[in-house]
Amino acid sequence: MEFKHRQLDNGLTVIGELNPNAQSAAVGFFIRTGSRDETPAVSGVSHFLEHMMFKGTDGLSALEVNEAFDRLGAKFNAFTSEENTVYYAAVLPEYLEAVTEVWTQLMRPSLRQDDFDMEKQVILEEIAMYLDMPDFLVFDRGRELYFGAHPCGNSVLGSVESITALTSGQMREYFTRRYAPNNMTLACCGNVDFETICKLAEKKCGRWAPEQVGRDLPGHQSRPQKHHDKKDNLNRRHVALYSPSVSMQDDRWYAAKLLSVIVGDASGSRYFWSLVDPAIADTAMMDLASMDGTGALCSYVCCDPRNAGQVEGILNGIFESLAKDGVEESELTAARNKVLSSIVLKSEQPMGRLVSLGFNWVYRSEYLSVAQDVEHIRAITIEDIRRLITEFDPRGYTLYSLGPQ
Amino acid sequence: MHRLSNGLVILGERMDYVRSVSFNLLTPGGAALLPDGCGGAGSILCDWLFRGAGTRTSRQLIDALDGLGIHHSASVNTNHLTLSGALEAGNLEPAIELFADILLAPALCADQFEPARDLAVQELAAMDDDPRSKVMMLLHEQYYPDPLGRPGQGKTEELEAMTAVRCAAIAAQLRDPSRMIFSIAGCYDFDKVCRQLEKYFGRLTPQQHKAVDPTPKTISYTHTPNDGAQVHIGLMTAIPPISAGHYYETMAAVTVLSGSMSSRLFTEVREKRGLCYAVGARYHTLRDWAGVSCYAGTTPDKAQQTLDVTWEQFQRLKDGITADELQRTQVGLKSSLIMQSESSGSRAAGIAGDYFLLGRVRPLEEIRQAIEKLTVASIGAFLQAHPFETFTAVTIGPKEIQV
Repeated sequence: MEFKHRQLDNGLTVIGELNPNAQSAAVGFFIRTGSRDETPAVSGVSHFLEHMMFKGTDGLSALEVNEAFDRLGAKFNAFTSEENTVYYAAVLPEYLEAVTEVWTQLMRPSLRQDDFDMEKQVILEEIAMYLDMPDFLVFDRGRELYFGAHPCGNSVLGSVESITALTSGQMREYFTRRYAPNNMTLACCGNVDFETICKLAEKKCGRWAPEQVGRDLPGHQSRPQKHHDKKDNLNRRHVALYSPSVSMQDDRWYAAKLLSVIVGDASGSRYFWSLVDPAIADTAMMDLASMDGTGALCSYVCCDPRNAGQVEGILNGIFESLAKDGVEESELTAARNKVLSSIVLKSEQPMGRLVSLGFNWVYRSEYLSVAQDVEHIRAITIEDIRRLITEFDPRGYTLYSLGPQ
Repeated sequence: MHRLSNGLVILGERMDYVRSVSFNLLTPGGAALLPDGCGGAGSILCDWLFRGAGTRTSRQLIDALDGLGIHHSASVNTNHLTLSGALEAGNLEPAIELFADILLAPALCADQFEPARDLAVQELAAMDDDPRSKVMMLLHEQYYPDPLGRPGQGKTEELEAMTAVRCAAIAAQLRDPSRMIFSIAGCYDFDKVCRQLEKYFGRLTPQQHKAVDPTPKTISYTHTPNDGAQVHIGLMTAIPPISAGHYYETMAAVTVLSGSMSSRLFTEVREKRGLCYAVGARYHTLRDWAGVSCYAGTTPDKAQQTLDVTWEQFQRLKDGITADELQRTQVGLKSSLIMQSESSGSRAAGIAGDYFLLGRVRPLEEIRQAIEKLTVASIGAFLQAHPFETFTAVTIGPKEIQV
């Protein structure tokens, strides 16, 4: 594996992790923008814009875009989060240049009015779809409750009202500000010819104009809260918990990741033994949601509504014992092995590496090889985790739940 | 491939450049093979089997699996209860030993049966909050002849009536080597794996079993009211199974219909009309039966039009496909094939599926050549001979549709 890095004069960064033995290659544009960069008036614009980017350019219709990707056999898609919008494709190595060329074209879209009006219908359907997914909904509303006025609480999808009111003019203005080359990273990995990709980027993106682009990074003081909403058509109680944790830039990220596995992995974790094994809940898991300058540990539990009180008591007991006694060496060893094995499995395919590669650069401006990741994980001690728990007390959580009663 | 003298089949695919290994142990515990009234026993066993095995208690077993960093899972489909593992290659030997214990010497303690069953009941109840998955479960049940459509999750009343003694008897049914397949892919030594499996599984003896006798169904449409935001539509229509020899034409037809963003369903239903966010079709094949299933989720006022436009795309296929569509389909299928060949998990599942459905594993090169041989004419002839004429539909949501 070899890492390469180049920056164009207009600020566009190109990075690559080269593996000549790979059977495929992956490429993606990482734009440092998401719902936290939106004002209430344009809530949901980042995600809606992500859809619109596939609608083509002055020389390319939406159908032609989709056909162009499909002619290359590309596995392609995009996603939008609170702070990133990522467009990616995996292809056979001989098509990497061509698929990258398609992406460079799409990064300067037409945003036609008729496409905008039609896609608005699709976005409204997507909002409706998530309303029927309570496991998604509790996270969305839980995050809003936890972050309050902090921009990380902004909804990625926006609301029916904000999307209905959004105009294509507002979207164009947002696009110009946020999709500036100095706010974008072009990442590739696998069986890649880096020089070819750099030349292409220079030719196709070299004239894009940079902008003054930034991000508000206010601090966040969480105040533990609880809120329950009743939803008659549900059968189960769905619970989301948020408590403070490390940011993406924090060196303690690995310790926090291991802590989340010790507490809330699907197998053998504290949640597993206390909630799932005795069948008090059918699902209980914890994940680390680190972001730009802030972060949270978030949990999801699904249970019979009659068990809701008992579940909360057990969660409190788990957090108490973490605060009092920390974690055990055996728990750390198991968590370490699980995370290492996930890294090995995920990094076998270039597509599995692309997102880690891109995010490491976007957040930390650094390259971390799989071997370095492994080293970091091996180095964490129970003392590191104890210090982390002292600083980010999991007992101070915010809870949001949905259920039939 | 290697077969033990008692019939257990071992399939292996060695992959260069990977550091992982993935394996599947397929056992005859599929939903269609369970006695009547015992639906969901497989779902209970997927949990109960892991609650202690060999000399290990429940906690010691999970700790041992986690200590080796094994991603483990158990699942039930129509024909099999499958135990799966994926891990860094160095720990393979102890991993296989643990899985052998889980299948051959599970503790199956009576006091661990209740929580295992309780979880199966709760997981089924949780499906009511996931109408998108539930509609597809109901669709398979309605489409396939009984017992082939029976869901692995069973029915609440079946789960509640199940006892520890009956469930343990079903666990014994899993240990029939004549209907077991072990598949492995990634970085490993095939001979060593065979020796290890011979040591653990070589003593098993084949069991008598009754052949499944499917009874076709005639229900065309059912609706389950739910006061949600969308109508979740599932439809399924007949196509020859993989064993009938038209696999590549079928895959091509389904790819044209729904393989990607330039496919007909995506273009007509989503891009041109804005009817849905999620719409897609896939080929689902058992050994002797198969179908193309389709899911679409949409708000109530658009539900009828969504169904009508979707079904029209199925019917239009009998008029054939274009040369451009063929080119995109071929390159798409080939690229999926090569990307799967980079993942040990995909390959371990792929070779086991091939063997069960076809009685042999297709080399990747054979699949590649067959994809290249497809023509507009061969696909057109297949679609004319097998037009989509009728379908089974299931909806969940605030509004019924006319079918």
